[in-house]
Amino acid sequence: MATTLKEREVVIVGGGLSAGLLARRLVPLGRDVLVLERGAPRNGSEMQLPSQRDDLRWSILRGLNQRENVETYTLRHAPGEDALPMRQLISFLPGFGVGGGAAHWNGLTWRFQTTDYVLRSHLESRYGKGALPADMTVQDWGVTYDELEPYYTQFEKLFGISGKAGNVRGEKRDGGNPFEPWRAEDYPLPPLETPEAGLIFKAAAKKLGYKPFPLPAANASRAYTNPDGMKLAACQYCGHCERFVCEAQAKASPNILLFPLVVGKPNFELRTHAEVFHLNYDRAAKRVTGVTYIDALTGEEFIQPASVVVLGSYVLSNTRLMLLSGIGEPYDPRTGKGTVGKNYCYQTVSGVGAFFEDRYINPFMASGSLGMVIDEFNNDHFDHAGLGFFGGAYIAAAVTNGRPIATRALPPGTPRWGLAWKAANAKWYLRSFGILAHGTSYSHRNNHLDLDPDYRDAYGRPLARITFDFPENDVKMSAHVTQKAHDLAKATGATIVSPAAPRRGPYDTRLYQTTHNTGGTIMGVDRATSVVSTRLQSWDAQNLFVSGASVFPQNSGYNPTGPVAALALRLGDDLASYLERPRVL
Amino acid sequence: MLRFPAAIAALLFASAAFAQSVTSGKALYEACEPCHGTGAASTELGPSLIGIVGRAAGARADFRYSRALRGAKIVWDASTLDAFLADPQSVVAGTRMPFAGIPDRSERASLISYLGALR
Repeated sequence: MATTLKEREVVIVGGGLSAGLLARRLVPLGRDVLVLERGAPRNGSEMQLPSQRDDLRWSILRGLNQRENVETYTLRHAPGEDALPMRQLISFLPGFGVGGGAAHWNGLTWRFQTTDYVLRSHLESRYGKGALPADMTVQDWGVTYDELEPYYTQFEKLFGISGKAGNVRGEKRDGGNPFEPWRAEDYPLPPLETPEAGLIFKAAAKKLGYKPFPLPAANASRAYTNPDGMKLAACQYCGHCERFVCEAQAKASPNILLFPLVVGKPNFELRTHAEVFHLNYDRAAKRVTGVTYIDALTGEEFIQPASVVVLGSYVLSNTRLMLLSGIGEPYDPRTGKGTVGKNYCYQTVSGVGAFFEDRYINPFMASGSLGMVIDEFNNDHFDHAGLGFFGGAYIAAAVTNGRPIATRALPPGTPRWGLAWKAANAKWYLRSFGILAHGTSYSHRNNHLDLDPDYRDAYGRPLARITFDFPENDVKMSAHVTQKAHDLAKATGATIVSPAAPRRGPYDTRLYQTTHNTGGTIMGVDRATSVVSTRLQSWDAQNLFVSGASVFPQNSGYNPTGPVAALALRLGDDLASYLERPRVL
Repeated sequence: MLRFPAAIAALLFASAAFAQSVTSGKALYEACEPCHGTGAASTELGPSLIGIVGRAAGARADFRYSRALRGAKIVWDASTLDAFLADPQSVVAGTRMPFAGIPDRSERASLISYLGALR
């Protein structure tokens, strides 16, 4: 029997980056904000030495992530196949607990580009209307880079991003990204120190005529105080960023920069262990009336009425909650009709290993977004005419860690066990690094999310079913950019370069690739082809808004946190106005 | 021409240098502040450093120190702080403070004089 609670003004589902940015904006206005987070608060062993460095607990056993025995996903590679549950969530890492993915992220903080936001129009105008394959369902976002620029700048200041600008108000800067869209200001902090791998990569990239620049990082290169007066310490290069909570207070997160601003205020509440079952939807009125959740510690069920609901949970959870609540029309890949679950995308990641007899890379001196990168082969920075694919990848020497359990840098031909394997581990651990190609993922008619007809979570709700494989376009793209990464690895003068291994199907969930799932509740100008409007307002419930990478119509070659935050900051302004005068924005 | 006695001039310079050193120590302290706030009470992340000079290591009742620091038998003065801040782990192996140290001696001196003035 569910207990009905007192109505709250704004209820945000998910206590991560979106919730932090929205609460920061709305609570000082006197708005009543309740955040429902399914996981635990974060203030214990995950952030203090020595337990913070527990590679087994946090990384291998994924201690900060969604538990598969409570909720997992099922996967099939094409419509028509039977999906099977992912018994371990390895290929991506959904956050669980306050801070969500932004507590255990690496800190790569990019801006999506001018062309990303108008991808279909751009490609059709450059390559012709018929150039895009019929099954490539990429769309324009309905928002432009210029509209989001102030929010990117604001986010970079709030999170103290370290980097080197390449284009300040149209003025090109040496040493930054020559393909960067204009930015109002330089990064608030200078880049992190360039590690040995970065120096080697930089020299090789320059030799080949490219313009390398340091990775933009939410790992503070020095102590920083943000415009809210919140403080970051300097990165200690310990190499425990992704999968970990930073113990040095140097990695920007909602936990240290956003929630402390509002926790303790009478009009703010962060309720943890609150697993939202579904939104309560009044179909006739086209409004949500609140959410139903369970207290995961006691098993009690609650109805939480709300005047406004924001879905700010993980990509797959946002989509699943829309489906479980019966809001909007589920996408059908056979007809192409319906929108909820449509345009699910991932990230097309591949890599090449470079091994040096005579150089010490020392991968244990690392940070989440540390190293050098080139952008020549990303997005539409090169002419795709005649190539047979669209999109691309940034190519980087990113030294994120040298943690003991999973760091196995072994040249091709190394035996898989025994003395020779041990000797190769000992030899190459210090003397190798990977060159990463971090590529676009363009939407395909078949790739989508829906509810699994067979498998359920611990509470009896259908699991989200992922139908995904790397589309032919992305496989061809990966072959192209991975060869470029291989050429770069050769140009470093490495003793051994592993063969180019581009990403191919079938999608293998046993290998970590990236947590950058996108789509499912996509934004757009037309309700027939999107779930939320360009203001992130549901087409089917005026008082429901969606925040997160689930609104991306397709994925760029960059990491998605920057655009997620820029959209959430804009949503904060929109909600401030909506709460004054509720309407279709 | 009026001339200051040499001793007074030296004193003026010394106090100017001292003031400058305290300012730069304050800037350096920015790196410590996210964990060691300037409040009188300790936080979950770090003990308050008010009155640190002259205090025994691991002595505050309101912070859960590492066993290493509790058992360190160090009294913090300019010399012990200098050694600790140069390389915390080599002086107190097992300290939970996630800080690699300050290699520059004059920066350490500035920071220590700032810590001495912290009230």
